[in-house]
Amino acid sequence: MPSTIFIIIILFVACSISIVSALSFGAVTIPFNDILNALFPSLSDHSVDPIISQIVVELRLPRILLAFLSGAGLAVAGATLQLVTRNPLADPYLFGISAGASFGAVLVLTALTGLSILWLPVGAFVGGLVAVFMVLFIAGQHTYQQVERMLLAGVASSFMFSAATSAILYQSDPQAATAILFWTLGSFSQAEWQNLLAPAIIIGVSVIIFFAYSKQVLAISSGDENATTLGVNVSTVRLLMLILSSLICAVIVANAGGIAFVGLLIPHIVRLTLGQRQLNNYFIIALMGATFMILIDLVARTLIQNQEIPLGIITSAIGSVFFLFILKQRRQY
Amino acid sequence: MSSIIEVKNLCWKTNGKTILNDISFTIPNGQFVGVIGTNGSGKTSLLRSLYRFIKPSSGQVSLNGNDIWQQNAIDVAKQIAVVSQSNTNTPYQVVDVVSMGLIPHKALFEGYNHQDKTLINNALNQLDLNELKNNDFETLSGGEQQRVLIARAIVQQGHNRNTTQQLLIMDEPTNHLDVHYQLDLLQRVKKLGISVIVSLHDLNIASAFCDQLLLIDNGEIIRQGTPQHVLNPEIISQIYNVNVSVIKHPQHNRPHLLFNLDDTNNDK
Repeated sequence: MPSTIFIIIILFVACSISIVSALSFGAVTIPFNDILNALFPSLSDHSVDPIISQIVVELRLPRILLAFLSGAGLAVAGATLQLVTRNPLADPYLFGISAGASFGAVLVLTALTGLSILWLPVGAFVGGLVAVFMVLFIAGQHTYQQVERMLLAGVASSFMFSAATSAILYQSDPQAATAILFWTLGSFSQAEWQNLLAPAIIIGVSVIIFFAYSKQVLAISSGDENATTLGVNVSTVRLLMLILSSLICAVIVANAGGIAFVGLLIPHIVRLTLGQRQLNNYFIIALMGATFMILIDLVARTLIQNQEIPLGIITSAIGSVFFLFILKQRRQY
Repeated sequence: MSSIIEVKNLCWKTNGKTILNDISFTIPNGQFVGVIGTNGSGKTSLLRSLYRFIKPSSGQVSLNGNDIWQQNAIDVAKQIAVVSQSNTNTPYQVVDVVSMGLIPHKALFEGYNHQDKTLINNALNQLDLNELKNNDFETLSGGEQQRVLIARAIVQQGHNRNTTQQLLIMDEPTNHLDVHYQLDLLQRVKKLGISVIVSLHDLNIASAFCDQLLLIDNGEIIRQGTPQHVLNPEIISQIYNVNVSVIKHPQHNRPHLLFNLDDTNNDK
């Protein structure tokens, strides 16, 4: 097994290459030199076409950064949740976040028509959090059967919010329904510099806290009783991890819609290729998630000319096939 | 000699059922204490309430003179290492499991330094686990897994261990092990030189290894003291519902139980 440092360097290089590729390819192909000149105008010896410069700095770069944050955030949140719930199917969306966020967005689009479309992310964020806190309230603070209660409450609240969303959509006009559909499948096309601050802060701070608790999370993954005897306050740490994962997920859903499968896929790729012992190595998880997301977004906007494919379709399609492939290869899993 | 654990009037009720009833005992430093009793007598619940996993309904457990519920979980973990029965979900390498022993000694963000690695390697060597270091814990045999958990317990005592303040609690560690591994395991534990509380099924092994025994039944202490005192043929016959004779073991002179086949062990 290669050393951890080596793996991180490889992933870092892969991530850098994916960022440069994503800056370069698209409706217009921009050569590497022009990208550099557009990014660092003070260093350049000749000026770049202002349109090229604008494409790089105002369109592609914020989009890539949002993809980076989303991929890293979803992957890290997924890995943490799989560890603290000891459930390989755990995923940020399992706790009703996505369904709650959709419900919030639908409310903004249909019932609260007085509000501008800019309130959609806020509605989604609030909806996602309401769903999660409902799950937490039902799961309770006690260690006893906390995991089981969380997962079941998550599934139930997902269905509840989906039912409410469907009911409203069924009554509303087709235009709103299409808008909601596009939004639930996920896209980074709305990325702008001014919208990057909230995701950057929430995801950045959460990942730092995940790093702080990585040893405790590892202990919880080998059993509540075990972790307790190692001095870990199991129910509190687990609640903290769930709340942070939910915040990450809610802010991503609010800015980019529901991007399925990444939070489930990346931790499993790490587990299948590098072993579960790397599952709390958030450098590896974050870099892998970010690289994957940037490349998926590149595919989403280049696969069909002049048209964008919603991210959720690609992540689900590529992710599930890849997932089945690895699963077949690694029979002992 | 001061006591490592002092239990006063411990009761634990759950769902309206009394699991532990008015248990009191004191264990002096450095003793090897066996907890014996039939299935469902409350052995695991008693041990869990000693290592702060179960909060008692009433009564008090003091560790090195301080109530365990007045101390935080980390301080208790620095004094008590536990080998529990629930180690089913541990998909990590041996060295990872042993390293977990350092968790109570580490601040948030703190990683493992060179000194820690020496401590971990010494513990692995002490339990003859060096060659299994990078094996997956779940692929090991039962006896090897128990040794890994003992190595973790050694690491959990930290760098400046004060053996008189350290307690190891083990819940039926010899279950499912061949006789050789049962004896090997308990001999290794005895060599650690710390206080040990261990629940055991095999009464003869309990007799051979323990300084003191606690016999519990229906959540109450029936008898406590030396093996000679506790392994009284009438009491064991009654509690375990078997016909027992006690002889002196020719090698170590401790009581040795013989289980007789006759009609008296049948329920009337």
